[in-house]
Amino acid sequence: MDILSITGAAYIVAALLFILSLAGLSTHASAKNGLTYGMTGMAVALAATVAATVDASDGLDDRALVIGLLVAAVVIGAVIGLWRARIVEMTGMPELIAALHSFVGLAAVLIGVNGHLEGSHYAMDSLNNIHEAEVSIGIFIGAVTFTGSIVANLKLSAKMNSAPLMLPGKNLINVGSLVAFAILTVVYVAVEEGTGQDIILAVLTILALALGWHLVASIGGGDMPVVVSMLNSYSGWAAAASGFLLGNDLLIVTGALVGSSGAYLSYIMCKAMNRSFISLIAGGFGIAAPAGEDKDYGEHREIQADAVAELLSGASTVVITPGYGMAVARRRTRSPT
Amino acid sequence: MLIGIPRESKPGETLVAATAKTVSQLTNLGYDVVVEAGAGNAADQPDSAFVDAGVRVGTSEEVWAADVVVKVNAPSAEEIGRLRPGATIVSMMAPGRSPELLEQLQGAGVTALAMDAVPRISRAQSMDVLSSMANVAGYRAVVESAHEFGRMFTGQVTAAGKIPPARVFVVGAGVAGLAAIGAASAMGAIVRAFDVRPEVAEQVESMGAQFVEVDFESEVSSDGYAKEMTAEQEAATATMYDEEARAADIVITTALIPGRPAPKLLSAETVAGMKNGSVIVDMAAANGGNAAGTVTDQKVVTDNGVTILGYTDLAGRLAAQTSQLYGTNIVNLLKLLTPEKDGVLTLDFDDVVQRGITVVDGRDGEAAQITWPPPAVQVSAAPAAAPVAAAPAKEQKAPMSAGAKVGLVLGAIGLFWLVNALAPTDDLRRHFTVLMLSIVIGYYVIGKVAHALHTPLMSVTNAISGVVVVGALVQVASDDKLIVGLSAAAILLASINIFGGFAVTRRMLAMFSKGA
Repeated sequence: MDILSITGAAYIVAALLFILSLAGLSTHASAKNGLTYGMTGMAVALAATVAATVDASDGLDDRALVIGLLVAAVVIGAVIGLWRARIVEMTGMPELIAALHSFVGLAAVLIGVNGHLEGSHYAMDSLNNIHEAEVSIGIFIGAVTFTGSIVANLKLSAKMNSAPLMLPGKNLINVGSLVAFAILTVVYVAVEEGTGQDIILAVLTILALALGWHLVASIGGGDMPVVVSMLNSYSGWAAAASGFLLGNDLLIVTGALVGSSGAYLSYIMCKAMNRSFISLIAGGFGIAAPAGEDKDYGEHREIQADAVAELLSGASTVVITPGYGMAVARRRTRSPT
Repeated sequence: MLIGIPRESKPGETLVAATAKTVSQLTNLGYDVVVEAGAGNAADQPDSAFVDAGVRVGTSEEVWAADVVVKVNAPSAEEIGRLRPGATIVSMMAPGRSPELLEQLQGAGVTALAMDAVPRISRAQSMDVLSSMANVAGYRAVVESAHEFGRMFTGQVTAAGKIPPARVFVVGAGVAGLAAIGAASAMGAIVRAFDVRPEVAEQVESMGAQFVEVDFESEVSSDGYAKEMTAEQEAATATMYDEEARAADIVITTALIPGRPAPKLLSAETVAGMKNGSVIVDMAAANGGNAAGTVTDQKVVTDNGVTILGYTDLAGRLAAQTSQLYGTNIVNLLKLLTPEKDGVLTLDFDDVVQRGITVVDGRDGEAAQITWPPPAVQVSAAPAAAPVAAAPAKEQKAPMSAGAKVGLVLGAIGLFWLVNALAPTDDLRRHFTVLMLSIVIGYYVIGKVAHALHTPLMSVTNAISGVVVVGALVQVASDDKLIVGLSAAAILLASINIFGGFAVTRRMLAMFSKGA
């Protein structure tokens, strides 16, 4: 039983715990257990990987530095994360989550860059090409997630105009970026190492960053909760792409779990808000600014507070629909208290 | 100012413009009130009740000499002559149909406020007498019809056999129609109703009736009243009226078009085709009636045994409550006209309600002006005609057909097969297997997520996606300083995500527990 088989087994355990965690989070009764499963799974994954890393660093010149950095990064990250989570207002939750997504996206970009720097040393050419493609895809998804999440965060925290950005030919921009990405990837894979790959990758990264920004900027502030969920899904795919890059099944499993559940959750939320899912993932594709309300919503009646009180006191059943007004107004607002 | 409440001069009128309850509300507004002796007798408001309410009971002369005279029916020529120049008269006047009345009022130099000219806007609902009286009348119409109808309304299954429920057809779902629907369905009848305004279907159904559909495009009313139909629509509806009336035991018609005679909806043939013993209550009798054979204020029995009631005093047949409602409408109006509560009536023509009800402006005494009709007031939320160009764009979102869905899924699976078939190593295929299974699991585990848990779920998946740290951890063990640095940065970022995500989810979930 060597360290690799131990970590491999631990990864399966962690993946299982993550599945249980997501399943648990779907009902109130099991939500707390689900959270516990998730934290345990993460602890298992972290412990196993750290152990593997410590093992792998055996024989490195500056092993102490690497391990020291590793521990310091985790501790600092934990402190920042816990601190932000503790002080955030409940109404500020979505923007915090959006900010957290951006970290995952950036981490995925960094991992991709590392993958590029390490290079690939397979015997087969095709495998080297696949490695390069994985680097490119991982960076692309990570970068889109990164800037997209930042924009979502800015829009949610009202630091940026929440109205959808309406660039002329924005659909063309989105589609064009995807095509450009495909071309750049092919070129990146095709050219030999050391012949301008760095530059291609840099262009690709900038393109992805710009696309992420534009995608989310094109969506109105009212749809941001769905966008955050969608970015969550993207961050999962980013992790899955990293998994392919590193040949790490845990990353693939977890990334795909998060990716598909996030996509489905976004879909449910879109349904609930009566929005088109396709339009959203495509960054406001085809969403003309809600054109003048040309639909007849029937008669409306105004009513004063005392009349409402009278109605309520005479009612046999009262249904309170929290959030209905918000949904109607398509925005979140902070309560005055 | 002094408000006079005269006794109604119209023969058989039971209503009074104020009750003991409303006069005390008027005195609270700062007015002095004098009620003519015997004014409220027919509405269960004896003089003693007014005296107990703290107002004076006086003679006819005293009442008509008041600054403000409030009554139910339009004043007669003789009554107008008794008004003081500069005084204000408040009553129902039907200004659209009685131009000579307005001229007489103008000649008398008085200000005339028509209670039946209140614009039908939400704010003015509390003073809309047509609504409050129509409501009572609609109820009473059902009671009158039940009285004439020789059978029970409710269906029953008894040991002695089955009694079918009465079928009631209500035409016009205005205030009166809706009240009739409510009363009839409360008595157990099967109620069907029709209105030319399709937007009231919901209201009809909420009152317990079935809305009768007719296939034609109809316009949304913009002023709160029904419009007369076009010839084309009329043909379609005429057939419907005929069928519905023949099937019904009781027909209650309430169709009125302001300023015009009531539309003839039930033809002589239709009435002749109705069942023996059935009843028509024609609530539009005052304006000529909706049914052929209606005689205003009369009960008529046709040759085939159909009873047609043309009563116009349905509201007056519930005198106490109608007077109370009318009186409350008056109080609400005077509240509006007495913003200072100092007993001084002031008119503000910038207010659409006050402008709307003022049919003669006699504030200048001799130079009184007829101010009818007022500018139109829009009440419906219906949009002004939408630009036609916008319409086609709305059509495009047809749901995907089942075949297209199957095709899409098969296509995706086929693509997946191709990718795997082209994968150079088994390792890669294994990764794809894992990926695919995980996607499916991810989709199914959250299939039934509770709505309130969307955000916590998002937050926990976010924390879990921090697992990308594993990748960075694997990479950090490197000789390349740059890679170590970048990996450390990635570890830091992912750690923020992991710890922050879980902690924030924990906080959220804590809010769901009791007492949090």
